[in-house]
Amino acid sequence: MKPLDLPLRIVALAVVATTVAFLLAPLLVACLLSFDNRSFLGPFPPKDFSLRWYRSFLDNPAYLDGFWMSVHVAVIAGAISTAIGTATALALADPRLPGRDAIEAVFLSPKFVPTVVIGFSLLVFTAFIGIYDPFVRLVMGHTIITIPFTIRAVSASLVALKRSHIEAAMSLGASEPRALWDVAVPAARSGIVAGGAIAFVLSFDEVAVSLFLSDAFTQTLPIALVAEMRANLNLTIAAVSTVFLAATLALLFVLDRTLGIERLAGDVGARG
Amino acid sequence: MKRLPIAVWLIVPGAAALVFLMGGPVAVLTIDSLRPYIPGSIRAGEGYTFANYLELAKPAYFNYAYETFRIGLIVSTFSVAMGAPLAYVAVRSKRAVVRKGLLTLLVGLLVMSLIARLYAIEMTWGSHGPLAFIGAFVSGLAPRSPRYAEVLVSIGLMHFTIPIVALMLVGAFRALSPRLEEAAASLGATRSEAILTVVLPLAAPAMVSAYLVSLAMCISNFVAPLLLGRGVVVFTTNLMYTRFTDIGNYQAGAAIGVFMLIASFAVVYGLATIAKKLLPSVVPTR
Amino acid sequence: MTLSMNRRSLLAAMSAAAATSAGPVFGQARGEQLLVVMWGAQWIEVCRPIGEEWMRATGDRIQWELHAGGAMGIVGRMRPLFPRIQQNLVAAWDPVFDAMIEADWLEPVSETEMPALKEIPEIFFKKDKQGRKVTVPLSTAGAFWGYRTDLVDKPIESIEQLLEPRFKGKLCVPVPVNLSGLLMVSLAIQRGGNERNIEPGWQFLKELAQRGNIGRVVANNSEMINAMSQGDLSVAFWNTGGWQAVRERFPSRLLTRLNDNKGFLFNEGYVVMKGDNPAKIAAAKRFANHFATAEINTRYNMPLGSGPTNINAKPADAIKDIFYNADELAKYAYIPDYSYMASQVDAWTRRWETEITPLVRQG
Repeated sequence: MKPLDLPLRIVALAVVATTVAFLLAPLLVACLLSFDNRSFLGPFPPKDFSLRWYRSFLDNPAYLDGFWMSVHVAVIAGAISTAIGTATALALADPRLPGRDAIEAVFLSPKFVPTVVIGFSLLVFTAFIGIYDPFVRLVMGHTIITIPFTIRAVSASLVALKRSHIEAAMSLGASEPRALWDVAVPAARSGIVAGGAIAFVLSFDEVAVSLFLSDAFTQTLPIALVAEMRANLNLTIAAVSTVFLAATLALLFVLDRTLGIERLAGDVGARG
Repeated sequence: MKRLPIAVWLIVPGAAALVFLMGGPVAVLTIDSLRPYIPGSIRAGEGYTFANYLELAKPAYFNYAYETFRIGLIVSTFSVAMGAPLAYVAVRSKRAVVRKGLLTLLVGLLVMSLIARLYAIEMTWGSHGPLAFIGAFVSGLAPRSPRYAEVLVSIGLMHFTIPIVALMLVGAFRALSPRLEEAAASLGATRSEAILTVVLPLAAPAMVSAYLVSLAMCISNFVAPLLLGRGVVVFTTNLMYTRFTDIGNYQAGAAIGVFMLIASFAVVYGLATIAKKLLPSVVPTR
Repeated sequence: MTLSMNRRSLLAAMSAAAATSAGPVFGQARGEQLLVVMWGAQWIEVCRPIGEEWMRATGDRIQWELHAGGAMGIVGRMRPLFPRIQQNLVAAWDPVFDAMIEADWLEPVSETEMPALKEIPEIFFKKDKQGRKVTVPLSTAGAFWGYRTDLVDKPIESIEQLLEPRFKGKLCVPVPVNLSGLLMVSLAIQRGGNERNIEPGWQFLKELAQRGNIGRVVANNSEMINAMSQGDLSVAFWNTGGWQAVRERFPSRLLTRLNDNKGFLFNEGYVVMKGDNPAKIAAAKRFANHFATAEINTRYNMPLGSGPTNINAKPADAIKDIFYNADELAKYAYIPDYSYMASQVDAWTRRWETEITPLVRQG
């Protein structure tokens, strides 16, 4: 292929470099500020350095408790959402299902309901039907917001599956559920894994829904962060950012070794 | 009687979740929004009223919706303009390290806590941040003026939308065979001509839908204005949250929620329909 | 070191004594989990260690929840849930006390159950409709205009001066739910009004906003402290606790003695929430009593720049400013009808949204 011609190349390079710098700069600044010794958010750059904000991060049990709560909620909501998403995607892949486009549109619609509205309405609804357990409420909220994404991810992996494969299995004597289980589910495996991963990540980082549905004893990590920082904004948040950055890098390394970043990026792209 | 196909049974759990987790809540929310608010009271008043909606018709509230929408349009434009080249390079660069590096960055941002990133943005672009001068130059607003909060909120939103827009477009560019560009080139087009005449039109549907997804995410966003808005950039979502936390007026909050639900669907499906009319060839069916 | 040793042995002695002797509260079983609501910034900083020592000494577990903004917010959030609330103790102040008393959410407190209350003068307590004490007063604090003297060239003698162009973008003010609207009351007083005749205050506020003088609207202590520490804002209306943190870092002056306006005084403290678990209520009273003791009351008020309520506590130097003699009290201080203000927060918040925010945003 011909290389890009010079002017376009310069423009492309500039845009890409600017965008990358734009996306990375805050993380680097936060990393530097996390070692700032001042007791408030003062002008940049810091002059004295210390580890005080890391100590303050470690001393506050709210963050670690929040982390485990987030893992808990994300695993359970992610699992439910993946199961429902897989079943729905399998159904949508069946050409005999009447009104498939309409059904699909309805199932993907939670994506366009503002999460604040989901959180608020679930709060009112659960009180109405008598569910007061915040953990149950959180799982409910996180399940509904992730379902469209798991459906999408599994559907994407079923594109290549032909109805004739399932019918072939049935002609060999398998019942239809058996044929789906033996043929379609393995074919959808990559989509199920990607869907589960997306659901986990979305749930883990969710703020707006959780803000309504959590309570003082049942807080996810993002809620603990918002609550602590809104009441008590200091550079602990810079230390938190840096810890998150390190954890993200470690996670990316693992993901690349197991799933492969390029493939994962493709699957994630399908979530839109 | 004919046996129901298994597909119908497979729909059941999802349908139940949808009814139980979205339909029911939205119905209760709608009823609540029609109830009168009694100041200081635990329960809503008796009977039904449109008062909670009529209040939203005040020009000031229209202005909040307009400002929310305006910022969403600006942010989405930037996101597609910056995300598309990034996605293209991430797919077509000859160097594997560039491709992989960019994809790692995009996936990494998606995984990394938005809250932590938003506070990092405040530290970086806020009135004393090292990059505030760039924000001031681009926007023409002094970093310490209240309106500069618009710049901060926009930057926060872009951090949220660019990775998603770019990853959606990575999928789209991957689906386009490089042969198309080669074919155009073999007919004498330069590479940039090939991109402009072949790649862009073919990727246009994906770019339009990425734009709409970005817009929908912006106008329903809540955390960026909450944390970066300095109390003056207030999205409709934040008004609703104030009803809930600060003044305990659930009925007014419910009315804002119903309004936002309708507005959000109108934007996503309405704009898609308009786009389809104007650009029949480029807009995907869904 | 010796201090903390002493405190620990004191606490140990206290719990030992409690186990044998016993007022009704102290006879209860240990190991309760309490949810205590506190403000952020220095409030939680001074309270966390106090809580940790308490947990080690008593075996009760203290979980802190932070007010996201003004304490009035929690009233809105509890309203649909009560009595199914998890909070056992809530740090609050006058208007919030009034709102909670009105709703009948508060557990009465007494000196027999909480001996430290004997050392707090009667006048500080709020009473419910049956005349029982329902608050545990911990501080006398105030809300005042003030400024950083390193950033303001000419001293401010009247808040009318805040309309001058030199204050463009320099003012830091609270949202109405914060301080329950004292900002508007202060501005109303300047123009001959008060909390019930609030209109002149709104007009003054609009003038300030129209001129672009309001540079920042903040929702809680930590936002105020950060905003005033960055150097772009020089004037604020805020509580003494936030000012204390600013004053520790930068030269600042509180306008506690204005000839044409008044400062506000109020009480802060704990309230024990009603609930269906008597053991938890007893544990909450024990913890609140601990805060009311002279030693902890001194320690609590020190970083907040507020006056202790326990007669045996030692006041911090910083409170000279807000300490008025009888003549001064009449001349410079004003105690508005906080319960009336509590009823106006909803209306004032909406008016702020529709009339003030758009002006502030235009700068």
